Amino acid sequence: MIRFEQATKYARTKGIKKPIIENASLTLNRGKSVGLLGRNGAGKSTLLRLIAGALKLDSGRIIRRGKISWPLGFSGSFQGSMTGEQNVRFVARIYGVNTEELIAYVEDFAELGPFFKAPVGTYSSGMKARLAFGLSMGVNFDYYLVDEITAVGDSNFKKKCQAVFQTKLRDSDLIMVSHSTGTIRDYCDCGVVLEKGKLTYYEDVEDAIRAHDKNMREN
Amino acid sequence: MTDVSPISTHLRVVGALLVREMATRFGSKPGGYVWALLDPAAHILLMTMIFRAIARAPALGTSFALFFATGYIAFQFYQAMTSYLNSAVRANKALLSYPNVAPIDTVVARFILQVLTTTLVAVIVLGTIVATMRVETNLHWPAILEAGAMACLFGLGVAMINAVLFLRYPLYEQVFNIVNRPLFLISGVFFLPDSIPAPYRELVLINPLVHIIMSFRQGFYPEYRAIGLDMTYLYGIAFLTLFAGMLVFTLSRKTLRNE
Repeated sequence: MIRFEQATKYARTKGIKKPIIENASLTLNRGKSVGLLGRNGAGKSTLLRLIAGALKLDSGRIIRRGKISWPLGFSGSFQGSMTGEQNVRFVARIYGVNTEELIAYVEDFAELGPFFKAPVGTYSSGMKARLAFGLSMGVNFDYYLVDEITAVGDSNFKKKCQAVFQTKLRDSDLIMVSHSTGTIRDYCDCGVVLEKGKLTYYEDVEDAIRAHDKNMREN
Repeated sequence: MTDVSPISTHLRVVGALLVREMATRFGSKPGGYVWALLDPAAHILLMTMIFRAIARAPALGTSFALFFATGYIAFQFYQAMTSYLNSAVRANKALLSYPNVAPIDTVVARFILQVLTTTLVAVIVLGTIVATMRVETNLHWPAILEAGAMACLFGLGVAMINAVLFLRYPLYEQVFNIVNRPLFLISGVFFLPDSIPAPYRELVLINPLVHIIMSFRQGFYPEYRAIGLDMTYLYGIAFLTLFAGMLVFTLSRKTLRNE
């Protein structure tokens, strides 16, 4: 379960203060995957980082029950000067999982070949996505936070993602950001629309998509 | 799950960061971490040779190498600490996207690594010099350890303040670098503050690094009287700075993560 209680967060850049969420209260229960919809720049990625705990709220709180992954995007969490393998080792250590098992899993999943032992800075975005995806799937979480990652990579990679998700989704839930409503439909049961600092929950993902489309038409 | 991560997580993360820092600090260069030791050792050797060519006799004792190396290494305990720790949070920014990793973990990891590194450099360089000297030297360990510890804690405090202020006020970073650079010349690495005439000596003694170096040298030169050395002043400044650093760092936790 993830619960927002009067959660407020503003984005501040160079004197401009913009609300991401304002006084939002919402409960997401276990057993349902959530699609997160909103226009460009609404703060969907920031919201994922808030849920993960990688960002702190300005006020209010988020109560988390269960293990939550870091936001799984194709650029964010890797240290460019470390090799793919070193990045995997690092994550294994900070999450306290077996290092060698995780390395074997990721090496097999990401299919980076010799690049697995090269600095991540030399990777293409597709390679980074494969590494990021394999890495987080190798650690068991109750919630996986996914930020557009299925959008990159070739069809082979997408097929692979689907296959892993199918098995993972038996025990874990997804919270997914995607501009592709097709992807949201495929993976999510319910939806949350983020618009002007407000979070609106829809039991049926189709309703969420309709509400989002309506928002988009209005502007 | 609460927002405060338990101690065991911090320990795991600091351990992982230590390995990461050691692996990437000298990254692609062959030899890797060995350079952390070789670089300052070579620097001291070179400076000693230059110094010996310029000056007729060291201000203390008979060995140029020992006089210069004691000053340089005591200074290095502070200098290497701040220059490495100033960027601890910034350099690990990507890793902060893992919610497990807290900004303070990056500082703690670099602090541990830097204390060990400078200590190893000190043992290698000073050990070699003392072992090869004709005159037997009696080391006074409490003075040496005290000076080293104060230099590390003072450096940690300065770096924690910097980590926050560099982010908030980019101009301050420029000012700090301008002020910090000549410190090497005025902290008593090359000279003894004891030999400076009265009104100027008081000015020189405001700099806490002068006291660190004097105390450190006392450990190697039992006959050194260190006029003006004030350990109470040194402890006061070091702990005050450390306290200020922890305060600023704690109050700015959110900013350190968000930036």
